[in-house]
Amino acid sequence: MMVRIFTALMALMMTATLSLAQQGPLRIEITEGVIEPLPFATPNFVAENGSSAEMGAQLARVVAADLQNTGLFREIPASAYISNVTDFGSAIQYSDWKAINAQALVTGAVNVSGNSLTVKFRLYDIFSGAELGNGLQFQGTTEGWRRMAHKVSDAVYSRITGEGGYFDSRVVFVSETGPKNKRQKRLAVMDYDGAGVKYLTDSRSLVLAPRFSPTGDRVLYTSYETGFPRIYVLDVGSVQRRVLESGEGSISFAPRFSPNGQTVVYSQATGSNTDIYTMDIASGRSTRLTSAPSIETAPSYSPDGNSIVFESDRSGAQQLYIMSANGGEAKRISFGQGRYGTPVWSPRGDLVAFTKQSKGRFHIGVMRVDGSEERLLTASFLDEGPTWSPNGRVIMFHRETQGAGGRSTLYSVDITGRNLRPVRTPEGGSDPSWSPLQK
Amino acid sequence: MNTGQVISAAGHATLIGWMVFGGIFRTEQLPIEATEVSVISGEAFAALMAAQDSPTSQSEVTQPAQPVVDNGTGAVPEPETAPEQEIPEPAPAPAADDAPDVSELSPLPNAEVSVETPVLPTPEPDVAVEAPESNETSVPQASIRVAPEPVIAPDPEARPDPVEQEAVQQTETGETVAEPQEATTPEEAASEIVTEAEKPSAAPETSLRPPPRRPTRPAVRAAETSESAAETRKPAAEPAAEETIATSAVDDALAEALGQASETPSAPSGPPLSAGEKDALRVAVQQCWNVGSLSSWALETTVVVAVSLTKDGKPVVSSIRQVGSEGGTSASVKQAFETARRAIIRCGARGFQLPSDKYDQWKDIEMTFNPKRMRIK
Repeated sequence: MMVRIFTALMALMMTATLSLAQQGPLRIEITEGVIEPLPFATPNFVAENGSSAEMGAQLARVVAADLQNTGLFREIPASAYISNVTDFGSAIQYSDWKAINAQALVTGAVNVSGNSLTVKFRLYDIFSGAELGNGLQFQGTTEGWRRMAHKVSDAVYSRITGEGGYFDSRVVFVSETGPKNKRQKRLAVMDYDGAGVKYLTDSRSLVLAPRFSPTGDRVLYTSYETGFPRIYVLDVGSVQRRVLESGEGSISFAPRFSPNGQTVVYSQATGSNTDIYTMDIASGRSTRLTSAPSIETAPSYSPDGNSIVFESDRSGAQQLYIMSANGGEAKRISFGQGRYGTPVWSPRGDLVAFTKQSKGRFHIGVMRVDGSEERLLTASFLDEGPTWSPNGRVIMFHRETQGAGGRSTLYSVDITGRNLRPVRTPEGGSDPSWSPLQK
Repeated sequence: MNTGQVISAAGHATLIGWMVFGGIFRTEQLPIEATEVSVISGEAFAALMAAQDSPTSQSEVTQPAQPVVDNGTGAVPEPETAPEQEIPEPAPAPAADDAPDVSELSPLPNAEVSVETPVLPTPEPDVAVEAPESNETSVPQASIRVAPEPVIAPDPEARPDPVEQEAVQQTETGETVAEPQEATTPEEAASEIVTEAEKPSAAPETSLRPPPRRPTRPAVRAAETSESAAETRKPAAEPAAEETIATSAVDDALAEALGQASETPSAPSGPPLSAGEKDALRVAVQQCWNVGSLSSWALETTVVVAVSLTKDGKPVVSSIRQVGSEGGTSASVKQAFETARRAIIRCGARGFQLPSDKYDQWKDIEMTFNPKRMRIK
């Protein structure tokens, strides 16, 4: 009898359990997915008049290259298309694009009239069978066609990923020619993808470490024009410049703008000691932030302007520290083996990019601002000078190859460590600094 | 039923009850870290760009009127043109492009629209064949695709597809037992992202030479093994007749309990899905859940998506809807939902493999897409 009672109790318990579990729909939790480039198609933009066909093809190629260069998207070649887009206003045959596994489709139209250029585009989510956002139209001049394409790419990227793009941005860097022992350097600015390189200075004097202002209208850099390093601020529009005077008998370097663009933080070496200072650009008044006998340099503001990350050897080895923007006690955030330097705060505020030297190799890495989750993204003979894309998703840096004939090249890498790729420039490049997104 | 079984049954019942009613399945939600992002004004830079423009690109671009794109024509009205500005002296600064104006277009209308098992060769009985020890399997390999399970380079003849299928071809007589289809295979994948800094050196860390060992004894012949196995197998004890007979009172109680359960209107009838069947469904969906293009905010967003399935396991696209979310911004929730929706549609296109006799159990499903573990890949 006891056996039967236990059986009955167990059955009742199971029944209650099942009835409870079966109420409502079946529920499952998905915690594992895949990470792979999203397949997309970008047919040539439809020409709305006879003179627009070539422009339509060029625009589509730049958009496709922008998206593909992120590593997050994979272009489906035109040879795989089942149907094509010949009319911007006609309906999309989703089944044709679904059959070739295109998950996103970018269509566009272009109208060239004299010097005027009009570009329209639409983005479709193929498997949802619907347009993703509304169509957009850009208008400008034919000279600005690449910016138009970058604008389209930014909109497509933003709608699919949910974060801002970075294609319509520029990079200021040091263009380098000649062997290492006789290298000539000059400031240059280019589109983020290496196109449209223009030079801001000549190569008569050594220039280092250009830094865009938060609004992209000015550039800070260090020049040896007088034989000693001095900090200059260059107005990009007029190419007019002026020196930021620091203390007598001191050497100033490693400048960087504050987020509001009104203050410059920099390093100043007096004798054998190097400390961090700030200078109000309007008044020229400087303030000393550190006073340790060790070397403090490479300061970088947090996006809110309240903190500064910098490198210091006060512990005996080069490590990263964070202090208040007004100075004071600093907190060490790097604790790994090797030497850490050139920290740069992410535009999102959550990460710090840095250069690390360990076991004879250089790395570009990222860590959270509390020093956790350090991750090395690259490894080579010499990787240095990280700079963040405007959306905080990509890091650009320069890599130098070994030997007297070694060349310095700009590279970019996703913060996940994927999609490491060189940025093509006419000459060698170093010390890149990414501008904010253009408006 | 002996005493041990009784104790075991009582123990299991208590454990199940505790797990169900004790709240063990309820998990505390971890705090989601949110970071503020400053928006940088570009007014000054726009002014700069205007100053840099070459004389031919100085004409100011105005905001065009809202274009009208109808079903077939796609006509977009010409935007109004602002008066031309005075052209400044060309500066030696780099020429920048115009800042184009943006306007929204009206939305488009809807579109009209038998395999033999290979026999392994038997090794010589006196020769021990050992593969050289290697650490290759333990080293993560870089791949453009990251999936829960690593996939080696697939058959080049097969079309990449999340759902692996064998090819079905016509016979010589032109007859087919199933609809012809192309062979598909999952794409090559690694189980995690491998950065350049983490890539292993090409040099082997251990010698590829086999370690010196004495030859092992030949394996026991298969026939002997099967015989001995057969000897060790014992038939399961048949239940005693008395244990299969329940008293009428117990039967009545069970019948009443089961009857009450089945009368619940919202409860699906029939046997529930087994854990294995649920796992199969989960694996099927996650093969198409591509989070690679999601922002870091969207990767901190969990969405709950409801979907109804047809009897052949295909999702009803119009039924896919978001029923909940946690973390992230409204934009990231939207991106996370779109990605989840895409996963359900893509991998459900041929129908999820679910037991048809349990249709009531899976005709309505709520899937929680939690990307927490994908953030650290």
